[in-house]
Amino acid sequence: MTTLADRFSLRRTLSLARWNAVLLSRNRLAFVYAAVLPLLPLALLFTGERGAPSVGAGAIVTMFLVIALFPVYYNVLSQFVSRRDELVLKRMRTGESRDAELLASIALPGAITALVLSALAIPIAAALGQSLPVNPLLYAALTVLAVIMFAAFAYWTAAWTRSAEAAQLTSMPIILIASIGPLTNSIPDMSERLRDLLSLTPGAAISDLVRIGWFGLDGPGAEEATLTFAETWSQAGRPLLVIAAWTYVAVVLARRSMRWEPRA
Amino acid sequence: MTNNPDSTSAVWVRGLRRTYGQGASAYEAVRGVDLDVPVGSITALLGTNGAGKTSTLEVIEGLAPATAGEIRVLGLDPVADRAALRRRTGVLLQRSGFSGDLTVRETLRMWSATVTSPRSVDEMLALLSLEQRADVRMLALSGGETRRVDLACTLMGSPELVILDEPTTGLDPESRREVWRLVSGLRDGGATVLITTHYLEEAETLSDRLEIMHAGQIVRSGTPTAIAAGHPSKISFVSAAGVPEDLAGVRRVVHERDRTTLETDALQTSLSDLLAWAAHNRVELDGLDARSPSLETVFLSIADGRDPAVSAPQDIETPKEGALR
Repeated sequence: MTTLADRFSLRRTLSLARWNAVLLSRNRLAFVYAAVLPLLPLALLFTGERGAPSVGAGAIVTMFLVIALFPVYYNVLSQFVSRRDELVLKRMRTGESRDAELLASIALPGAITALVLSALAIPIAAALGQSLPVNPLLYAALTVLAVIMFAAFAYWTAAWTRSAEAAQLTSMPIILIASIGPLTNSIPDMSERLRDLLSLTPGAAISDLVRIGWFGLDGPGAEEATLTFAETWSQAGRPLLVIAAWTYVAVVLARRSMRWEPRA
Repeated sequence: MTNNPDSTSAVWVRGLRRTYGQGASAYEAVRGVDLDVPVGSITALLGTNGAGKTSTLEVIEGLAPATAGEIRVLGLDPVADRAALRRRTGVLLQRSGFSGDLTVRETLRMWSATVTSPRSVDEMLALLSLEQRADVRMLALSGGETRRVDLACTLMGSPELVILDEPTTGLDPESRREVWRLVSGLRDGGATVLITTHYLEEAETLSDRLEIMHAGQIVRSGTPTAIAAGHPSKISFVSAAGVPEDLAGVRRVVHERDRTTLETDALQTSLSDLLAWAAHNRVELDGLDARSPSLETVFLSIADGRDPAVSAPQDIETPKEGALR
């Protein structure tokens, strides 16, 4: 009989994740992408009217997009692909490590960076005059879900990425569908249908959840916090569903197309 | 779960086939392999490049699924019983895979954390003579040193079954002998070793049993001596007029450039007759060479397709008479 401990060892995963973090810290460019770059969007909080929710929401949405795309998506993609190229993954799979442990350990350093940065954003934003999150639970859930979704995107992209260099190109589609929502958010006179369609992209769902969960903003044009804690839950349903759907699709595609060694 | 049909085999394979690709581009690398690796033996899988050795091992290691056939490793299924099996096996892949930015010691510490009951990192560094290189990053190591780190990982869990895919390719002669000593030591410690190589000397020196693979099939099995036994001995010399070639025991005569080679089933008789003739006629046989059948003879005849026991692979069609017109 196989127990969960047979299929997934937390001890092994954390140990491997630690060594992946060591490797990340020894690669200067990867380290900048993973840990330094995501802090920059917080500088946006210094712009515009102090404490205005719309300014705060803009900065936090941008930060979320950056932590989802760099420490999680791009970092996990390039780490996985380069380990695969170096035959490290194939070597590890001859040992006791299970596949899920290898995947989790590669994602963990970036995931932890993302979680820490999203938590740090709260006191930093508060110090710069922003209100505390209206629904901290929703904010925390968003962080975890965004990390899982973008890690899944990374493993799916890895299936058709030949090398770490090729990742610069193959990552474009996901970067595009992640960015298009937040980028078009501020366009005032967009047709309702187009806005509706864009709200189905992963980036738009993240943007909606930040605006709802932290700033209590009701709808895309809202400038002032109006939603109560209870109202934020009902408003969050649709974007949460969008994230769940994308994550499901990414996981299914990643599982189906997973490759552990370079193409012959 | 089916038990190993033969509990004296650490690896038991029947009718293994492995095909790459699909449709018209499909290529069958393994074409019906039966293999037994007796517990406590060193069994060498010998073959030219492309014979299907690695493709066979990858299935035994559980890294790739078989297209057809039955495989039992220590009585278990390499894919379904992966977790149980990995604790008891040590694998060395044909090509090493390490992150260049970790040092030797760090690499071994990382591997050690994945092993259920690992031998200590210091012990492994000493065993593979890597103490002096412990704090060097992997990317700065020579090919031979990298291979030794890889072997340290393979052996760290004190495996019952060790599977080594060309462990000495790229090593200098001294390191190669070191690896041989290590592998022999494993058997003496009670482990079973399955090793692939294309070095005949290695196979002959190390192994208790040989499995010679050619074009996806095992074409010869047995001890190195038994395998060589059926093959003729050879006497060769620089061709000279008048030398008798129909000596007792000679079954074939080959004239190649300026050399004559006599293949004989009775080396001593043929050679005595030849030397007697030479002495009687006061003839000096230039470049005289006589040798018993060796693994090399067998191997080369298989690789050249001259071995009568080896049929041509089925998908290579011999053009029929008239087909070329």
